[in-house]
Amino acid sequence: MSERTNLMEGGKDEILLNVLHRAQEKHGYLSESVLKKISSKYSIPIAKLYGVVKFYTMFHTEPQGKNIIEICGSPSCVLNNGISLEQFLKSELKIKIGETTQDKLFSLYKTSCIGCCDEAPAMLLNRKPCTRLTIDSLKATIENLRKEAGEKKE
Amino acid sequence: MKLNLNGKEMEVEEGKTLLTICRENGIVVPTMCFQASLTPEARCRVCLVEMNGELVTACSTKPREGAAIITNSKRVLDARRLNMELMIPNRSCKSEDDFEACEIYKEVGMKPRFSQIKNYLPDLGAAVIRDNNKCINCGRCVRVCAEIQGVYAIDFASRAHNEHVTPYSEKHLSDVACIRCGQCILHCPVGAISERSHVEEVMAALADPNKHVVAQVAPSIRAALGELFGMPAGTLVTGKTVALLRKLGFNKVFDVDLGADMTIMEEASELLHRLENGGKIPMITTCCPGWILMMEFFYHDLIPYMSTCKSPHEMLGMLIKTYYAKKAKIDPKNIVVVSIMPCTAKKFESARPEMESGVDYVLTTRELGRMAKIMKADFASLPDEEFDPALGISTGAGVIFGATGGVMEAALRTAHFLATGKELEALEINEIRGMKGIKEGKIVLNGKEIRFACAHGGANARKLIEQKDKYHFIEMMACPGGCIGGGGQPIYRDPDTLRKRTEAIYSADRASKIRRSHENPVVQEIYKKLLGAPLSKKAERLLHTKYTKRSRF
Amino acid sequence: MQILRKTNLKALAKAHALGQEGVIALIERKGLEGRGGAAFPTGKKWRTCHDTQADERFVVCNADEGEPGTFKDKFIILNNPKTMIEGILIAAYAIGAKRCFIYLRGEYEFLRPKLQRQVKSMLKRAKTDVTIEIVRGAGAYICGESTALLQSLQGNRGTAMSKPPNPTRNGLWGKPTMINNVETLTCAAQAVLFDNWKPEVRLFSLSGNIQNPGVYEFPIGVKMSKVIKAANPKRKLKAVSFGCFGGIMPVDENMAITPETLMMEKCHHGAYSIIFADETNNVVDLSLSIAKFYTYESCGKCTPCREGTVRMLNLLRKIHSGEGSREDLPILCELANHIQETALCGLGQTCGNHVLTSILHFPQDYEAYFSKK
Repeated sequence: MSERTNLMEGGKDEILLNVLHRAQEKHGYLSESVLKKISSKYSIPIAKLYGVVKFYTMFHTEPQGKNIIEICGSPSCVLNNGISLEQFLKSELKIKIGETTQDKLFSLYKTSCIGCCDEAPAMLLNRKPCTRLTIDSLKATIENLRKEAGEKKE
Repeated sequence: MKLNLNGKEMEVEEGKTLLTICRENGIVVPTMCFQASLTPEARCRVCLVEMNGELVTACSTKPREGAAIITNSKRVLDARRLNMELMIPNRSCKSEDDFEACEIYKEVGMKPRFSQIKNYLPDLGAAVIRDNNKCINCGRCVRVCAEIQGVYAIDFASRAHNEHVTPYSEKHLSDVACIRCGQCILHCPVGAISERSHVEEVMAALADPNKHVVAQVAPSIRAALGELFGMPAGTLVTGKTVALLRKLGFNKVFDVDLGADMTIMEEASELLHRLENGGKIPMITTCCPGWILMMEFFYHDLIPYMSTCKSPHEMLGMLIKTYYAKKAKIDPKNIVVVSIMPCTAKKFESARPEMESGVDYVLTTRELGRMAKIMKADFASLPDEEFDPALGISTGAGVIFGATGGVMEAALRTAHFLATGKELEALEINEIRGMKGIKEGKIVLNGKEIRFACAHGGANARKLIEQKDKYHFIEMMACPGGCIGGGGQPIYRDPDTLRKRTEAIYSADRASKIRRSHENPVVQEIYKKLLGAPLSKKAERLLHTKYTKRSRF
Repeated sequence: MQILRKTNLKALAKAHALGQEGVIALIERKGLEGRGGAAFPTGKKWRTCHDTQADERFVVCNADEGEPGTFKDKFIILNNPKTMIEGILIAAYAIGAKRCFIYLRGEYEFLRPKLQRQVKSMLKRAKTDVTIEIVRGAGAYICGESTALLQSLQGNRGTAMSKPPNPTRNGLWGKPTMINNVETLTCAAQAVLFDNWKPEVRLFSLSGNIQNPGVYEFPIGVKMSKVIKAANPKRKLKAVSFGCFGGIMPVDENMAITPETLMMEKCHHGAYSIIFADETNNVVDLSLSIAKFYTYESCGKCTPCREGTVRMLNLLRKIHSGEGSREDLPILCELANHIQETALCGLGQTCGNHVLTSILHFPQDYEAYFSKK
């Protein structure tokens, strides 16, 4: 591989992707200060680190909602009514893809394929698959999550 | 190894890329992302050729025995053209900075037919500005910043059609650890990165009758400015540069060489002082503002090793507003000092608060060229004129500041005299000349061996720092080749350009009547009338500075 | 199902008994081919990696299954993970690697905790000093491509790299690295142990407008009608798409599914994922969703893929919205062909298939949009 690739020998003991996942799980998102810490600890230039983080759709540099929904956009899901689910989520949560609700309860993303084509349409809710979705089941899921959050507040 | 290149059987050396083979055989293959000094990434897909019936990128493909290569089929030309059309949907070819893209644009016969999909806010820094809408994602800026400069200020972020070059967190270049060296500008084929222009401000000052506008010209300008007017690289245009500046309306034109001579007097004295009094050794030069920023960002523990001398144009700027103002009986408030520099980092340097700069504006070589074109000055037909004598007597020692190793060579010429009272036997110190990344040598001063080294290019500077304790004196230049390869210089494509400019610099030294800083009569007069001696209180106040620890982000 | 047969560390024991050369020769003899889509002979890959001089070698199990319509690796990780892990250990033994990775796509995070436990227990049971680390992907389809996967593993942006150097000779940190897909490694363990292991059996991922989606086993050459019968569509089927990159073609019940027959229809088997679309669909819509996928998942490194996929998508959107015309088709084809010819990696080289095949096989579906105008 190129010289540039091998400049960062530091990554050999610990795989950067795993480091980033752990940091994101701990802090909720990869803030500038978290990136600075990782940059210092592993001697990775911060511009490069930022470039790596931004390459992957599952890393976030902004605060995220309590629940992250990744709706699948694969052809199998599209053929099974996936697009109407996406539209339902957008209107129900009143956000666009890539946004977080004002109450910080939901962040909505679209993903290419989550490998649940056999149970389409599907989505990931906090990295766990929810499959054979219908608008009714989605509605119930969202309402449950809202209720849970409300109960916790009280 | 046998090959068939466009129907011609030939013997080539194994291990060469198709691009090398084609170019050696006089076959033009256009490239955008390729540059010989950088790791090939085969991103742009413009250097396509046909090898055994498949389209491959010439920059990254090494042919096998018996390969049949076609470089001019319709298929090849169509594919190249389409990639250019996709990369550059709209191209004006108005600015001189993107001539490389425009040459290829014409070469491949492009017809713009796709719409622009990029929509970025420009990054307007104080020294370097970027416009991602013009960017073609060739990554040359990213690679030069990382591989040659060792700065890593920018990288690609996001992916697919959203992939773009950016400092971390989409910040502006001026808010991150960018050393403002401007090498990214030199390496950009489409003019997406450029210097923050001060042409308008300078032209306003020139038009103001109450202002006494003074230009001071850095050594390396004279070895490069001609290129902007079609002259071959390495043409020395000292006299024409002076004439041009007068024509543009500057009241006085001074030579930064004199500032360089002052720097040498102070720096050589400082070195000797440190050697005699157990000061921090090695002493490291500070003429290069790119290197100073690199040190302030990444090497805080080096601060005590740095010379405290200001850079030559800052020294001369100070002297213009004190010594010259007094001599010419002009209120310093009405003097506007414009430095003509090969450098974008000088724009940052002159704006440093601790610098108490005498310099009001910095123009790069390219900006001066642009100004000449705005004012319709016919550079080639200008006469050769002399610098104004008040601060215009220059020495060969000052001129060679423009090339890597030059500051050190000039300093050693003077240090030897100051320490021993005798001149150095061999005036030209060949071991620190030339384009090798890190060069070293030694001389004997009063029975003591003094080891010195110099590095050019940030990545080489980083390497030299690792072994700094071997030396007494170190010269650092952020740009490859030193100032002659500075980020404010004319954009060049022929890799031999730097060597030719360097040669011009050394020929100017050889042609100088005075070749040692301490022999400069103006320098002697300034010490007599204003400063007393090197490192005096007054010299400290006017000609020395201090450094700041900056965040490495 | 053949893929569910357990090897219970007997395959590893047999490999040890055969010796490195013996096990590589056995894999070669069994005719195992890579199951990620490229169908490269696995034994040849192992041999090259083994024969390359180096002080360190690596094995990477590619579990970055991301091709839309493909879920067979998930099926294996859920149902026969231990045999897969044994396959990794056999590969490591065959080439002489001590450090192995499983690159698990981020979307399969829910599989990780259990897989982690199984790796631990397998390593313990096998009494080996080989390590297996699970690397967590983070949502980038391109990282299933071997050079991009290695970049990603090394902490870089997961962009594709030019070959050569081939990862088998010069991969992770410059060392020979063997990258095999989940199914390939599972098959490797089974091929080593079972005399009656059949190389022609493939896992088919069936999905789309069908009532029995799932993973099935069929031999290469299976009749389309048989596959459709298993899939059990509700309505009449119109088109099949082979994953995203394999192309779209009409349903032909009598066709035997082989690489050659598919090639005649300008299609590619890929990982044998078949997405069925029934007669209620317009194929342009299917093509549009595939174009979105490529526009989103291109790594952005090379010009044709970065700039071309988005232009193809824009043209398809224009057609889909009824604003398109027949004049758009030649430009679409020009772009698709151009990206295929000049892109840097496999993703780009296949990303135009759906456009080319849908225009070839379903011109009437495009016409339907043009006449809406």
